[in-house]
Amino acid sequence: MTKKMKLATLFGAPFLLAASGAALAQDYPTGNIQIIVPYSAGGGGDTVARIIADRLSDELGQQVNVVNREGAGGEIGIAEMAGSDPDGYTLGVFGYPDNFVLENTRDTSFDNDSFEYLASFDDMPMGIFSGPGSELDSLEAMRSYGEENPGALVIGESGAIGLLNILALSDDLGIETTPVLYSGGGELMNALLGNHIDLASTSSMSHDPITDAGGTPIGFAAAERMDMFPDVPTFKEQGIDLEMGVSRVMVAPTGLPDEVRDILTSALDEISTNEAMIENFQNASLPYRYLNAEETEEMVERSNNVLSPIIEENLEQFNID
Amino acid sequence: MVFAGVLIGIVVGAIPGLNGAIGISLLLPLTFTMEPQIGLLLLGGIYMGGMYGGSITAILINVPGDVVAAPVAMEGYPLTQQGRAKEALYYSIFSSMFGGFIGVMILIFFTPPLARLALQFGPAEMFFVSLSGLIVVGALSGSYLKAAFAVLFGLFISTIGIDMITGSERFTFGSVDLRSGISVVPVVLGLFCFAEMFLNIGKKPSEQVKYRDQNISRTSVLTSILKARFLVWKSGLIGTVVGLLPGVGTTLAVFMSYGEAKRVSKQPGLFEKGNPEGIIAAESANNATVGSSMVPLLALGVPGSPTSAIIAGALVIHGIILGPSLFVNRPDVAYTFLYGMLLTVVAMTIIGAVGIKYFSYILKIRMEYIVPTVLVFALFGAYSLRNSLFDVLIALVLGIAGAIFKKIEVPLAPIIIGVVLGPLIETNLARAMRIAGARDVPLVQYMLSSPLAIGLLIMVLVLLVVVVQMRRKTG
Repeated sequence: MTKKMKLATLFGAPFLLAASGAALAQDYPTGNIQIIVPYSAGGGGDTVARIIADRLSDELGQQVNVVNREGAGGEIGIAEMAGSDPDGYTLGVFGYPDNFVLENTRDTSFDNDSFEYLASFDDMPMGIFSGPGSELDSLEAMRSYGEENPGALVIGESGAIGLLNILALSDDLGIETTPVLYSGGGELMNALLGNHIDLASTSSMSHDPITDAGGTPIGFAAAERMDMFPDVPTFKEQGIDLEMGVSRVMVAPTGLPDEVRDILTSALDEISTNEAMIENFQNASLPYRYLNAEETEEMVERSNNVLSPIIEENLEQFNID
Repeated sequence: MVFAGVLIGIVVGAIPGLNGAIGISLLLPLTFTMEPQIGLLLLGGIYMGGMYGGSITAILINVPGDVVAAPVAMEGYPLTQQGRAKEALYYSIFSSMFGGFIGVMILIFFTPPLARLALQFGPAEMFFVSLSGLIVVGALSGSYLKAAFAVLFGLFISTIGIDMITGSERFTFGSVDLRSGISVVPVVLGLFCFAEMFLNIGKKPSEQVKYRDQNISRTSVLTSILKARFLVWKSGLIGTVVGLLPGVGTTLAVFMSYGEAKRVSKQPGLFEKGNPEGIIAAESANNATVGSSMVPLLALGVPGSPTSAIIAGALVIHGIILGPSLFVNRPDVAYTFLYGMLLTVVAMTIIGAVGIKYFSYILKIRMEYIVPTVLVFALFGAYSLRNSLFDVLIALVLGIAGAIFKKIEVPLAPIIIGVVLGPLIETNLARAMRIAGARDVPLVQYMLSSPLAIGLLIMVLVLLVVVVQMRRKTG
């Protein structure tokens, strides 16, 4: 090959690739795939994305990169993902219902029809925890304290779903509480363990650090007791019918070619039973639960119907960052 | 592995806009397949090295690689202009070493009591500590009015975005990007890096700093640091205690210890003109925070800084649960990590002390080559934080503003302090108001309900008086 030809190939290759990629969807994937995560590196959503990216890359034979686009409580990253080309080379992983809360409380550029769900990977119920030495050890104790001292219960949270959990639970218990926002899980834990707040509304993932330091899990908003924490009762067992949790979902912008969609969903189905991957989830205290594309759509629809009224009634309380 | 980590950390730290946190998040996936101990040491090394790396460019070309290196630039660059670059670099590395040791030793021996101390800091306590950080601004030089303007400008920048407590949008003009606020990294890049480079454009070669081979022995620098051992200890301890606080402990610690060094100095007039004491104070404080920000992480599972939060994420992947049970369940990991952190200090010192000769060759490079190189890295750094072009724009705009500020002698450090502390002061006060309201007690009573809060309030008042008096003396 002459020097000139080499140069021509070098400069031409990307265009050729792009052209063939657009024309022949059934050859998908022919290039790197990026997964946009609308949170910073190191958190739960990011961890899920990285575990999946690793396996998906083996399955599809192409590099799958995780790109963190945090900001505005996930809005920036989700908006960017929803606005990108539906060619299967830009996907997103985030914690449902962050998107639903955002689109109902702000003037977002995306809504539920801006993307399609490909799969969901875990089901992490929210919980209520009390600090070391606290006498609040059950929902009943919360109710009687709340009835005697309206508004005096200070409950910390660090995100929209934590706030939803407080609002729904307070409604169901018929008491008035004061939610206080912290800017991250770490700060929230510090406030709870230092007894600066009475209770914390956070995900079941915080169970171990809180109990280690002498705190008590009051209950989880789950359908049944979690395998990981069999000693923690559900809200249901304590007479409150409330299920609320975060589920990490993989989505793509609406309008994927059918072939691409099939390749992606069958690859996801394929890796969903990978033992080593499931172990990664368990190690990271992420309660693994795989739902395929259809099941995820159903789960989202069901959950949206539960959340809608809670958000609408408490619109002024929402301030997500 | 420790050496590799430290080296990566120093390089990443030296590049403007990149810091330890970014280095760690880039390498995070690599550690998934490593033994947990090994992976942790790699990440710990990057953290330690990153804290030091920012100082190299700060001293040599007045571009702090990271916000924590800003005070070092204020002292180190004047030294470089006087042809004492190597000396400044030695001061920096050895003070980092002492600070690093103090922090890690405290991590090893005093984790449980310090973790309990960290928990004492509620909204009231955080509010007073942040206020005291703001007062430090008064101790920096420059005219009253200009310093006040600078700090107010910083506080203003920090109000942009969604208000944490009420959720109202402030100064966002409907832009999604502005909604998430302006983060500290592009501000630092703009004010320190872009501004400096813009001012360098068009300078005549004769105005540039020339490389001079300075005969300076490492031992003489070490001896003079040892002579100032009280300062080293004090700065290390400030770094340790403030570094414990979740949020922005590191930045606050560095500026507090720098301001404190100036306050007690016999030659406060020399500050910002190249006083090694300033370097000692800032460097011992920032490397001390590395150890102490891990205290709440190891003892309670509560990360004390963004970097330690990412390290926590890495541990979780390996199924290691942080908190008191770590020492019972996985003592192998816990103790390897603790003692490995000591090794990171050693590795940092060796690499730093040997490398200084080569680092200072940067000064031999003509400015025409440095300016575009730094600008490219800085653009990259601003982009990489959130993969956002908006951040690049912010950095450029503030770069132009910074260049103008420098021309009219508005000090830049107070702007950074304002940006960092503004949200802390505001959200903690708002939280305090909310909790006091819920408990139905007056705000003042709630704010002063713990002895620690009262002590901190007294500290704030004393600092205020001292700073005002200092101002009178120096004029």
